[in-house]
Order: sequence, then C-alpha cells, then structure tokens
Amino acid sequence: MIRTVKPKNARAKRALEKKEAKLVENVKQALFIPGQTCNKLLHDAMVDLSALKKPDMKRFSKKNDVHPFEDASRLEFFSEKNDCSLMVLGTHSKKRRNNLTFVRTFGYKIYDMIELQIAENYKLLSEFKKQTFAVGLKPMFTFQGAAFDTHPVYKQVKSLFLDFFRGAQTELQDVAGLQHVIAVTIQGDFQDGEALPNVLFRVYKLKTYRSDQGGRKLPRVELEEIGPRFDFKIGRIHTPSPEMVKEAHKRAKQLETKTVKNVERDSMGDKLGRIHVGKQDLSKMQTRKLKGLKSKYDQNSVNSETEDYVNDNEEHLRSVDESYGEDFVTATDIEAEPPTKRQKK
Amino acid sequence: MSSAADNYKSLPVTVEKPIPVTYDLGNLTVFDSNVLDKNELDSSNAKREENLRNITRDNVQLLINQILSLPIRNTTDSVGGSNSQSATMTLVQLPDPSSELPREKPLPKPKAPTKWEQFAAKKGIRPKERAGKMVYDEEAGEWVPKWGYKGANKKLDDQWLVEVDDNVKNTENELIDPRTLSRAERKKLVKKNELQHKRNLRQR
Repeated sequence: MIRTVKPKNARAKRALEKKEAKLVENVKQALFIPGQTCNKLLHDAMVDLSALKKPDMKRFSKKNDVHPFEDASRLEFFSEKNDCSLMVLGTHSKKRRNNLTFVRTFGYKIYDMIELQIAENYKLLSEFKKQTFAVGLKPMFTFQGAAFDTHPVYKQVKSLFLDFFRGAQTELQDVAGLQHVIAVTIQGDFQDGEALPNVLFRVYKLKTYRSDQGGRKLPRVELEEIGPRFDFKIGRIHTPSPEMVKEAHKRAKQLETKTVKNVERDSMGDKLGRIHVGKQDLSKMQTRKLKGLKSKYDQNSVNSETEDYVNDNEEHLRSVDESYGEDFVTATDIEAEPPTKRQKK
Repeated sequence: MSSAADNYKSLPVTVEKPIPVTYDLGNLTVFDSNVLDKNELDSSNAKREENLRNITRDNVQLLINQILSLPIRNTTDSVGGSNSQSATMTLVQLPDPSSELPREKPLPKPKAPTKWEQFAAKKGIRPKERAGKMVYDEEAGEWVPKWGYKGANKKLDDQWLVEVDDNVKNTENELIDPRTLSRAERKKLVKKNELQHKRNLRQR
C-alpha cells in the first residue's frame, strides 16, 4: 500500500482526483517491466508492443526481480504507484523461453495473468518496411478461431488483447483513422486434450481501392503486414475469482440509458412520437345535414328525451338550415360567425 | 500503378463465409468462428503468412463494409486549432461496445452524508428555495445584496441613531455601541459556520 496523505496543494489534489475511481473510466494505461532475466529480444518485443499502445503506456528501463506467479505484491505496488492496470513483464528461463506475462489489475489487485511465450517465428517492427501505424489511432481487431468464443483460455486472450489495445472509447470514428488492424488468430482448430495451439499476433495496414462492385461507397480492402509479428505459446494462467469478475463487470446505474416510451426514430432519422387520445364519441359526430336525419324524426318513439337535449343554440341553427335548404355547415363555421351575418349573405 | 489499381477494380467487395461472423462495432472488432485449417497455419508451411493474410483480409473487408454502413456524419470543423484551413471529416457513428471487459477500478462509492445531511434526513428538512442574493430595500427603492458589500445585514452600521435592544438592557453590554455589537454578532456567526464546515470535512 502506498501511504496517502491529505493533499496539501491544488496540484496534488488534482493528481489524486485523477487516480480516483471514475464512473466513465479513462483509457487503461500499460506498464512494461523488464524482469530480472529479460533479454534483448524481450526488450525489443516490449518496445514494439508499447509502440502499438502509445501514448497510454509507461516503460521501465531497469530490470526488476518479479515472479508474478509466486508473489504478485510487487506488481500490485507498481500498478498503484504508476496508476497502470495493464502490465507486461518480460522474463526468460530455460523452461519458459522469451516469456511475456500479461497482467491485468482491478483496483490495484491482480485480476488475471497469462504467460505468452514468443515462439521462434517472430519479426520485429524494425525488420519490416519503414511504413508503420500512426500513434494513438484506434485499431481494428479481428479474432479468428472458434475457440475465442468457447475455450476459457482463449476467451481470456481475446479479452486481454481487446482490453490492451482498443484505446479510447469513442462514439464518432473518423473514417480516415481506420488505418491498421490487429489480427489475433488461433493456429488451427483443436480437440479437447490436445495441447493448446499457438496464438498468432499480426498487425496489418489497410489499403483501400475503388471497386466497381462496391460502387462509391464500399472499397476493396487489401492488407499489408507492418508488424510486429509474434507467435505466442500459452504458458501459465491465473484466472480471477468469480467475485472479482462480478465486481469488475458491474455497470453504473447512472449510465444506463432510460428507455423513452412512445418516441421512435424512423430510417430517415426523423423523430416520431406516439400520443394517446381518448376514445372518440361517434354518436355526436356531425354528418351531412338533412331534414330527414334530424333527431326529432328518429325511429325510436321516445322523442321527449331527445327534444330536451337540443339546446337554444342548436335551435337557432335549425332555423338557419331551413332557410338555406341543404347546406354543409361545419362546426367551426357555426362558432366563428354569428348567425345574423350569415343571413345577410 | 494505374494497372494495379485496375486489377483491384474487378475484385469483389463481398465475402461469403460458411458461419457468419459476428461484430462488435463499438470496438471495431470482428469475431470469426469458422474452421481454421491446422496445416495451412503450421509454421512449416511456406504459404502460412499468405494464408493468414487472406483470412484476415476477408474479415477486415466484412468489418469495413459493416462500419461504412453505419450512420455517417460529415463535419467541416477545423481539427487543429493552429491551422486555419478546415478539412472535411467523415465520421461514422459507432454503437456502444458489446464486448464485456473488466473495469479498471471499482465503481466510485457514493460520498458519506455529512452530519448535517444525516440530521436533515432524520428531521425531514429540505433545502429552502433559493430566492437569490438580492433583496428589495423599500426605503432606498433599490435592490441590495442580503450580505457582503453594502449588504442589507449591515444596515445598522451607518445609522446616526440606534435604539438599544431590549435584550441588552441592564447587562454589561448596555453601554457598548450597538453598532459594534451587531458587527460582533455577525463575526461570531461566520466563525461558527467555519467551525461546522471544518467538522463536516473531518467526517468524510
């Protein structure tokens, strides 16, 4: 634990506030730590991976004697001290050659860990052509292999890489910013009981060409590898406890959007509202005026009730009607104009 | 160069997959769960990288098609503040990410209520409606602040004649100027409030 005191000045206060838990979180920062047995290849690999993660990353230059699967407390300390929740540790031993340990923390406690060993077939960024990705662009991802949906280990790998490189969450994405794609592939399908196949990590740059078939809108996409290229062999794994998973996947109630009733948007983007009016009383609707349709000529013989219903105003109307014979009179006409005027006409 | 571009013109922009791929457009991601041939991707295979690139290309094509069919917004805002020229940007509106990823830190805890908030909740005291800082001064016929510079609570200070308060009569304060007394009263209230504020801060 790091000793925290009450901040004495505004800058320290701001710095502490930045570290605090937030409702909408910042981009996860990554920390690259060379282990005690880190070698040149691991160093170069970490430089390349950090180039992909820039600018949300820190890289240690000194070696640190950390054994995450024995004692992770130092990593937790680093996580808190640097406010980084993603860590990559490079170690090399006879048993585990060129080993990168990917660690995620939740609230400065270890969430999950996975060891990915760089297999022989690798190619660093410097060995590719000079053309490379721009710093800070949001990459696209492809995850290829059915096990990414089914096998717990590969699920973890998928979640890790997505979490690691996805960058800021945006609502609007510039089309010109779609420049590189991170492809993570399982080296072939496998049965239960077989050794876990390698995970192939590739980065490609997008090239788009106008195509006749796609018209103006859809381009033909071609890819060019820009590196780095790694084949990862899966080593030891640390999975989070179910309680921690539950805690880490909690969603803030304040952020949940309320469904607005009776308001929709159509395909053109126009807002449509639905309102409810009371039931219409059709019995009182004014239809065409005819002498024969008057209520006093109604078939049901109980005339006295209907006569009562007709009030003074309507009696006046009746007189107008009689003088004009058949005429269309709407309700607005009656209200707007006094009857005397009508007679003058 | 033009011939190369022409080559691509006739190529298709659609891809057929036995199992349809799934997308998480909020993260610009495509998940392909089709069968991968072990031999094609084996490290002994000379065409391995080519195969891998072809699989990825198909998926990226699908992803790009999907992204470009999202609602598009054009803006002419100048992105860089320094250069005056404004470039048109084509922005696609992304949906919310659908992949569930763990948070970095636990959800922020709600702040503990202060002593006053607890008390008010117990007593059912609601905050009084704010009428604003200004009050109407009938004598002067203008709006003056309730407190502060030329505040209404300092009315006594510049009177030439002040009545002695009944509470003060027959006490030791009787002979002190009532104006200084009212000022001392105000200062005492300020001090009391500061003390309470400090106490509340300590509770957090």
